[in-house]
Amino acid sequence: MPNATLSEPAAAFANEQRPRSMVYRATASVVVFALPIIAFLLIWEVAVRLGWVDATILPPPSTIVRRGWVLLNPSDLGQSILLAHIGVSLWRALISFALAAVLAIPLGFFLGLNKTAYLIVSPLLSLLLPLPAVAWTPIFLVSFGQGDLTIVAVCFLGAFFPILYSTIQGVRGIGRHSLWVVRSMGAGWFDIFRRVLLPGALPTLISGLKLGMAHSWRTLVAAEMLAALSHGLGFMIFAARSYMDVSTMFVGIVCLAVIGLLIERAVFGSLEAVTIRRWHGTGKLGSNR
Amino acid sequence: MSVETSDVRLERYDLSTAPFGAMVGIGRAALIVVPLILWELCSRFGLINGFLFPPPSMILYKLWVQSGPIGNPPYAIWWHVAYSMLRLLSGITLAVGIGTLIGVALGMSRRARLVFQPIISILMPVPTLAWTPVLLLLIGIDNRTTILVVFLAAVFEMIYIVASGIEMMNVKMLWVAQSMGATRWQIFWRVIIPGIFPYLITGTRLGTGYAWRALIAAEMLAASSYGLGFMIYDASEYMNMDVIYGGVMLIAVLGYVLENVLIGKIEAATTEKWGVLNER
Repeated sequence: MPNATLSEPAAAFANEQRPRSMVYRATASVVVFALPIIAFLLIWEVAVRLGWVDATILPPPSTIVRRGWVLLNPSDLGQSILLAHIGVSLWRALISFALAAVLAIPLGFFLGLNKTAYLIVSPLLSLLLPLPAVAWTPIFLVSFGQGDLTIVAVCFLGAFFPILYSTIQGVRGIGRHSLWVVRSMGAGWFDIFRRVLLPGALPTLISGLKLGMAHSWRTLVAAEMLAALSHGLGFMIFAARSYMDVSTMFVGIVCLAVIGLLIERAVFGSLEAVTIRRWHGTGKLGSNR
Repeated sequence: MSVETSDVRLERYDLSTAPFGAMVGIGRAALIVVPLILWELCSRFGLINGFLFPPPSMILYKLWVQSGPIGNPPYAIWWHVAYSMLRLLSGITLAVGIGTLIGVALGMSRRARLVFQPIISILMPVPTLAWTPVLLLLIGIDNRTTILVVFLAAVFEMIYIVASGIEMMNVKMLWVAQSMGATRWQIFWRVIIPGIFPYLITGTRLGTGYAWRALIAAEMLAASSYGLGFMIYDASEYMNMDVIYGGVMLIAVLGYVLENVLIGKIEAATTEKWGVLNER
């Protein structure tokens, strides 16, 4: 049939057209996003090459990339200096974040549910919340000396208060009515926790965890500059200062930014997607109200 | 601090409106006073290490001496506080000014957004303090380094909030102003600035929080003579625990005053004047 021969390629064309335009749109948005960055790097490179900027203070991007490649030592990743620094930094940040979460979340649930306790503690909390975690460093430096213990303790404090605060806010944000309804229908404490408190507090809790991780990561840099003995990205950057090794410093800065972004987007983004979509259907924050 | 992580607002605890039962009052006082008394007694009687935990009375006495004419240098505490505040204020002023300008440019012009948004979004996730060593090499141990770190800590928040504030504004207001023959300049001052004012205040509050944290750390790394951060870090080199504790207490109180009292006052005054409520 002539009809079929005509419509078949037309259908195939229509089928092909859609994904191609989507791919096209995706690449276009990537290009539009990347273009200014590339232009920015090019201007930087050219400015240094032409001698407008002192290369010892602001090395061109190509030098920084080469330096990063040398530090990464891709031929023998087991001996990679950069990976060792990154590993130590990540380990410290994760340990202190995990400790903070384990302690702050139960305490947050307790303070969120118990109004009297919350009112009693709140002045102390509002005093400790704006206190920069780095300010504890000198105390820990004298008590524990330089090293991992001091760094982990400082990062722990950096992560603890944001997580505690948002857990409290999340639990307090749950309407009393939903608690009463579930209780009147004879739910036990575990059921209330699992079906009402946890899902209800979760959006705020997760953004608190995200904030806590971000604080832990940012505090880590300062703590490592002040108190690290041998490893860590902050230590790498600060030690490079003594040798005027600016390209190493920029390699460290890039690593810090990329890892921070990865943790925030990849880890917490997917965590948010999984849990909140499961409990709140629409996948939007705040849709439980 | 990046955009995604800032959506948990550090709200003020409303101390005044809380139902103030007698038990709560006693509990609040006890939570602060009892540990202090215990600390004092344990330290005095040698139950805890008196070197690592000097009694609170000694810490307060040290603060008192250091803020008087016989301190070393005289009136030291006041100088430290003054330097810190000066750096904070200059950094924040710079951040508010430049952040507002860039934010308005990004919010108003599609072209500016296309060009600058990618660059800003790759600079934003860099921890502010990571810039400190670079600035140290670039500028040296100087007030300018700490001020720039404070600026960097606050400016991205300002840009982001101002730009999104403009995007939230009703386009019809612009049309009305334009149709009545307002010039660009008039639109900027009469429509846009009042329109973004609540966002400006919110941005300043959040930015001040980040800037305060960055300032203390930057002073530990990059100050040579004065500043609260320098004071406690310098004291740790000489193991003056009483100065460290005094400094941390001072930093906590000043942070509280900055975040709750000062910014709260400004917020209340402006929202009253402009008749807009801050979204929380």
